[in-house]
Amino acid sequence: MRDLFNFLVRYSSWFIFLIYFIISGFLLISSGPYQRHVWMTSAGSVASWVYDGSHNVTSYFHLRDINEDLQQRNGELEREIAGLRSQVRLLSEKVYADTMTVPSVFEPFDFIIASVTSNSIALPHNYITLNKGSEDGIEPEMGVVDQNGVVGVVNLVSPHHSRVISMLNPDFRLSCKVKGNEAFGSLVWDGKEVDEAVLEELPKHTVYTDGDTIVTSGYSAVFPEGIPVGIVNGTLRDEDDNFFKLRIKLFTDFTRLSTVRVVVNNDLDDIVVLEKGSER
Amino acid sequence: MSKTTIIFVLLFLLLILAQVVVFNHIWLFGVAIPIIFIYFIISLPESLGTGWVITFAFLAGFLVDIFSNTPGLNAMCCTVCGAVKRPMLKLYVSHDEEMANSLPSPYTLGGITYMKYLITFTTLYSLLYFVILSMDFFNFYRLVIRIISTSLLSFIIILALSYLFNPSPSKKK
Repeated sequence: MRDLFNFLVRYSSWFIFLIYFIISGFLLISSGPYQRHVWMTSAGSVASWVYDGSHNVTSYFHLRDINEDLQQRNGELEREIAGLRSQVRLLSEKVYADTMTVPSVFEPFDFIIASVTSNSIALPHNYITLNKGSEDGIEPEMGVVDQNGVVGVVNLVSPHHSRVISMLNPDFRLSCKVKGNEAFGSLVWDGKEVDEAVLEELPKHTVYTDGDTIVTSGYSAVFPEGIPVGIVNGTLRDEDDNFFKLRIKLFTDFTRLSTVRVVVNNDLDDIVVLEKGSER
Repeated sequence: MSKTTIIFVLLFLLLILAQVVVFNHIWLFGVAIPIIFIYFIISLPESLGTGWVITFAFLAGFLVDIFSNTPGLNAMCCTVCGAVKRPMLKLYVSHDEEMANSLPSPYTLGGITYMKYLITFTTLYSLLYFVILSMDFFNFYRLVIRIISTSLLSFIIILALSYLFNPSPSKKK
């Protein structure tokens, strides 16, 4: 017994090293985007308190750039509204206009405005922390966009903060299509550049050219159809002969994210019930 | 609580705060990340037992992981670096009496010896950090560039911090 005690004391450093090494290894292996321990992430109470403090200081730094983006987006929206107004006027001139309603893609969707308190771009799996949580109506699986385009999807929520899987994270896949074309593919980050991603599994019959706009397909309950994502920036060689693989230049500037909108799908409960029913 | 303990607690908090709030968001030329909180492990006194060094190193890494959404990554790198801290220092300091009861700094070890110790430490940390990260996207060329640039950037900043936090003995007088 005494020898055992002496042995343990003599090699205590090695035992301590092994214990911490095993704990670290366990954390490393078991951590995924859907881990359940909010306190061990940037959305935990202590971490988000620190990030809130630094955000209060640094949030003013990019206001000029953000303002320029907003002005540009505002201009695009005004142009789009002008186009839609002229279409409505043309439609209303027709005889059946009284009974016809013009559907809006954003009708079932609401937005919650939130600020980015922490954002990583240098890691293979990047996350964003927002200063709003479950008490503000945010739930996991809600989409996040900014003035330029898609940002990510909420995956962990605490009462006052939430963690978002950034688009710069290979765990995040987004159903997208070339604007004006119904064929869709899956957008995923390949870990190379912070302003580029890859659109995979796009059918070979899809017609596109470099510079075409890529938008969300709307084939999920997370994002409405038509939210801008990026532009085609070249074709990559794909092993599969039936699909295209395109390099996409992203609209969202992840190096200076500030204010974002969390997309609330009011029809989500109905969709979930419907999908569960169809699984049976 | 002794004055040295208070200084180390403050240094621990200050470096972790600086790492998560400022340095984690710097990504120089898209390759180099300044890892400066390891200065806490580097500067732990040589009189401290290896078990304690490993424990403090693990805690520092674990805290940075919580803020960075990288569970286990920094904790593992810090644990390994904490365990090899003493043997690493012995590579450059031949006599034990030189290290006894002293805090590793440019003045106690000498400028050149301290720089060698520092570059070895930052290189080992960067090597572990990026090898673990590269399990997701392996690209040898990018891996080597990242290890070299991160260790160099961290080395320069930590060297500056070492001179900042350790006043010259002549000034003390």
